[in-house]
Amino acid sequence: MSQIFTMAIKDLRLLFRDKLGAFFIIGFPILMGLFFGTITGNYSSGTGKKSQIKVAIVDQDKTDVSEKFVSLIQQNDSVDCTPMEFDPARESVRKGSRVAMIVLGEGFGETAGFFWEEAPSIQIGVDPSRNAESAMLQGFIMETIGQLSSERMQDSMAMQDMIDRSKDQLKADQEISVANRLLVSTFLNSLEGMVDSIDALQTESDDTIEGPGSGSGFQFANIESIDVTRKIDPNSVKGQLMKTKSKWDVSFPQAMMWGILACVAGFAGSIAKERTHGTMTRLQVAPISKFQVLCGKALACFISVMIVVAMMTGLGVALDMRPDSYPKLILSTFCVAGCFVGIMMVMSNLGKTEESVNGSGWAINMVMAMLGGGMIPVMFMPSFMQSLSHFSPVKWSVLAVEGAIWREFSYAELLMPCGILVGIGIAGVLLGSWMMRRS
Amino acid sequence: MENQIILVSNLKKSYGDHIAVDQLSFGIEKGETLGLLGPNGAGKTTTISMLVGMFQPDEGEVIVGAKDGNRQGNPVDPAVRRLIGIAPQALSLYSDLTATENLEFFGQLYGLSGTALKQRVEWSLEFAQLEDRSKDRVKTFSGGMKRRLNIAVALIHEPEILLLDEPTVGVDPQSRNHIFECIETLRERGLTILYTTHYMEEAQRLCDRVAIIDHGKMLALDSIQGLLEKYGGCSMVSGELVESPAHVDLPGEINGTTIQFESEQPLEEVARLTQKGVQFLTLNVAQPSLESVFLTLTGRSLRD
Repeated sequence: MSQIFTMAIKDLRLLFRDKLGAFFIIGFPILMGLFFGTITGNYSSGTGKKSQIKVAIVDQDKTDVSEKFVSLIQQNDSVDCTPMEFDPARESVRKGSRVAMIVLGEGFGETAGFFWEEAPSIQIGVDPSRNAESAMLQGFIMETIGQLSSERMQDSMAMQDMIDRSKDQLKADQEISVANRLLVSTFLNSLEGMVDSIDALQTESDDTIEGPGSGSGFQFANIESIDVTRKIDPNSVKGQLMKTKSKWDVSFPQAMMWGILACVAGFAGSIAKERTHGTMTRLQVAPISKFQVLCGKALACFISVMIVVAMMTGLGVALDMRPDSYPKLILSTFCVAGCFVGIMMVMSNLGKTEESVNGSGWAINMVMAMLGGGMIPVMFMPSFMQSLSHFSPVKWSVLAVEGAIWREFSYAELLMPCGILVGIGIAGVLLGSWMMRRS
Repeated sequence: MENQIILVSNLKKSYGDHIAVDQLSFGIEKGETLGLLGPNGAGKTTTISMLVGMFQPDEGEVIVGAKDGNRQGNPVDPAVRRLIGIAPQALSLYSDLTATENLEFFGQLYGLSGTALKQRVEWSLEFAQLEDRSKDRVKTFSGGMKRRLNIAVALIHEPEILLLDEPTVGVDPQSRNHIFECIETLRERGLTILYTTHYMEEAQRLCDRVAIIDHGKMLALDSIQGLLEKYGGCSMVSGELVESPAHVDLPGEINGTTIQFESEQPLEEVARLTQKGVQFLTLNVAQPSLESVFLTLTGRSLRD
């Protein structure tokens, strides 16, 4: 047994010392996973970040109120808002790096949020090619003004100050009619009474009120979403994607396959290399059996597949992938590794030279990957391609791994893909051993 | 013989219709160095492959191991194979591993571990004079260094029998000389060596006996001196005469004043001619060599 481990350690060492080989086993699958995850992320219901409207905001007022507005709009998930000076902001919109610029002019803070005052001036400069987003942006601005109003009306000092200024202006205005003067004066007195009430209320419930807007504020409307879509077939592409928890759920099992296929090609080539470079002669002359030599290779291939899956899973988890069941993932990985060890054994005997084995190996890998969902997920394929995919071990491997990551397979449901994989693995080991003995 | 450590009896191996080895029989005594000479395709590699148990012969048998030793039998048995170290003609090394890693790996396959493995690795590196490059990957080595390491790997487990298949192919004269010295050291230590080569001077320098095979058959097996006496033929005498004598019966071919003839006793023949008044301006006596023996036995036609 120790000689099998010696063989395996040597092969793993050689595999990872080959920089190009290591790239195809580790680097390439990561790139594939990230690439396809990013693309398919648009289809999935994952928790990825929403797309945002990139805008620049120019605060020429520089008051507490204008800063509050900037802060509030920056809290909006749909807007990526960056404070800038006027000229750089205009340049960034002109060059297309931002959709629009928002300018808060001087005096913004004096009236913003008091809806009985003259409306504050806000300028918007929009990229002409992005007019569609302009309307959305105006909506977000109005929403922010609403939030600002809500907060300002709870600020009794600011309100009182505003009422006092308004009373002074009323007294100074000689042209206003008596009726209007009486009406406005009554309104301001009512407001003053309301401010006093708010003050009293805030003093009484100071312990329970946590901050502005948390109970004492008001909303223009309470808007809730209702589902108006038809019931989605759980077996449809959309239905399946709805089960995913992150956009990496689909792309990472798919990308793992490329690492596994690279392992298979690498080890198949290494057996041919042992033959052509003469080291197989030494191995055959050493006091170990051919079976031990093959077991060493198989163990190294098995371990490398496990490493690929573990590494990709680790990276996926770091990015937001949350496997449904780790024990099921380990079981699936064992079956996948066993399957591809068998395939590797057969592949290593497909040619006499390293070049012929590598060439034929990658050709087979590509076909398996194309049919099995290594390039495009099987669920996106037309039905006849989905039928053909049954003949690819890659399909069953992806299904087994997905079953453990997001398809929420039970052990009974995992039995079929895992059984097929183990069956392929055993057949491959037997056939590969027989072919090697014959050669 | 009692002391034989390798005994090959009526060995036969065919690949389809082609008979690679045909009724081959020979023995190698313990501590002996036997040279195995033969043209390309003569059956040397097939013979070696059967000696190490890689191939099973169609007929005949191979017995490896001394009668007084612990293990004796068919080299297919891993315990018997442990007696043999082989340095194949193709460099059988992992080029992406270092010299030390190669030695450690093959040592572990032979069951070495711990201090014993460490000591053998150090000995092998010293033997191959690669101590300074022990941590370098083999792919950075020169051809000579790889050849030396190839032999060192064969010796990592202290075998009793060493099979060297063309161990000096493609090496510079310094490395070649070092390899010769190493093999001579191993001979002195009593290692049994089977040495295949195309270079006759190597066989003459290193081997106690030489076997010449062709078309899978044994053509001759003897000491160098024995082969020369049996198959070397006559010495070749050539020279330039001062003048062509008119009344002396000269042997061989005469072309103007140039003379060339074969003789079993060349010096006596030259003395007889001198006594008859023949005067030599230049004289060259070429004694029979192993190469002439080889060409006599295997023919001069090209082999591919």
